[in-house]
Formats: sequence, C-alpha cells, structure tokens
Amino acid sequence: MKICQVEGTLVATARIPGLQNRRLLVVKERGSSGKQVAVDPVGCKNGDWVIVVGSSAARDAAGSKDYPSDLTIVGIIDYWDETTTQPRRVADANTSSRA
Amino acid sequence: MQIHRVVRDLVTTKRNYWLAAKALRVVEDEGGNLEVALDPVGAKPGDYVITIGISAARLAAGNPNITTDLTIGGIIDHWSEESWRN
Repeated sequence: MKICQVEGTLVATARIPGLQNRRLLVVKERGSSGKQVAVDPVGCKNGDWVIVVGSSAARDAAGSKDYPSDLTIVGIIDYWDETTTQPRRVADANTSSRA
Repeated sequence: MQIHRVVRDLVTTKRNYWLAAKALRVVEDEGGNLEVALDPVGAKPGDYVITIGISAARLAAGNPNITTDLTIGGIIDHWSEESWRN
C-alpha cells in the first residue's frame, strides 16, 4: 500500500461499462511528482492523505473481483502532517546510525 | 490507473489470436514515453484517457482471456497539458 494525497476529481463521461459510475480521483504519491488515477469507494476530499492499494488487490478493494481497477483508495489517514513527518524520519535515521 | 494522451492508431494485421480484432492506440505519458494500449472506448488522437494496467487491463478489455497489460478505461472530459504537469 502507498500513501497518496488527493489532488482532485476526474470526470470521464465516455468510459467502459465495467467502470460503472464510480468516483475517480487524481492522486499524487508521497515524494513523487507523477499523477495517478484511483477509484474512490471511501469518499475523499481534495487534499486528504489516503492509503491506496495496487495490483489485483485493487480489484477486490473496489467492491468485486471483476472490477477493472489497478489502484483503489482503501482509507483516509486521520492525521498526516507532511512537514513534521519527514524531518522526524531523518532524525530517527541519524540516532539509530549513531547507536 | 494513469493518465495518457492518444498519439495515433496502430495497425497490426498479423497478431496473437487473443488480441482478436481489437483496436490498438499508441499513447504517451507526461514524459513522452510511448506505450500501446487496447481501446474498447474509441478514443481519437489528442484525447486524454485513463489507462488501466496489469491484470485489471484484461478485465477492462471485456474478456479476461485477452492478452493485454494496458487498456483505455475512459476519455477524460476536461484535462490539459498544464494540469498534467503541475
């Protein structure tokens, strides 16, 4: 699973029937600039930090084994502060290398 | 799923049995990398599309036996070069 931030909704009127009328969101993976599209069965807002699953687990997570998704949101992270998380991780790494 | 832009059609007369008579398109990502995707929707060159990868691509093609690892899932209504890069 990966941590992503929701960037916005995506409207695609002409779509394959298998995708049904599910909400699609543009998400950006933490620490990368590439945008991806994920199915949202949870109900996220713009700016939310979310957990996404990929590969065949994404199909199950979207509701059924036959749903053609390769990236599905499975949860909204209650508290994620990007500004404090990154420095703390660096500090942890430094203390463990000294020990 | 990823966002791609359709570059052009692709014609292959001699092909794998399970690819059947499905339309193929050349698509590019924001970095200009080219890939070939199966197109059950009917996208035109220049359209921004959502592409589905890995095993879900086979389901999206309408038949799990079809041998594809990238299938177009839908045409994006509003998208631009800027929203791709920013």
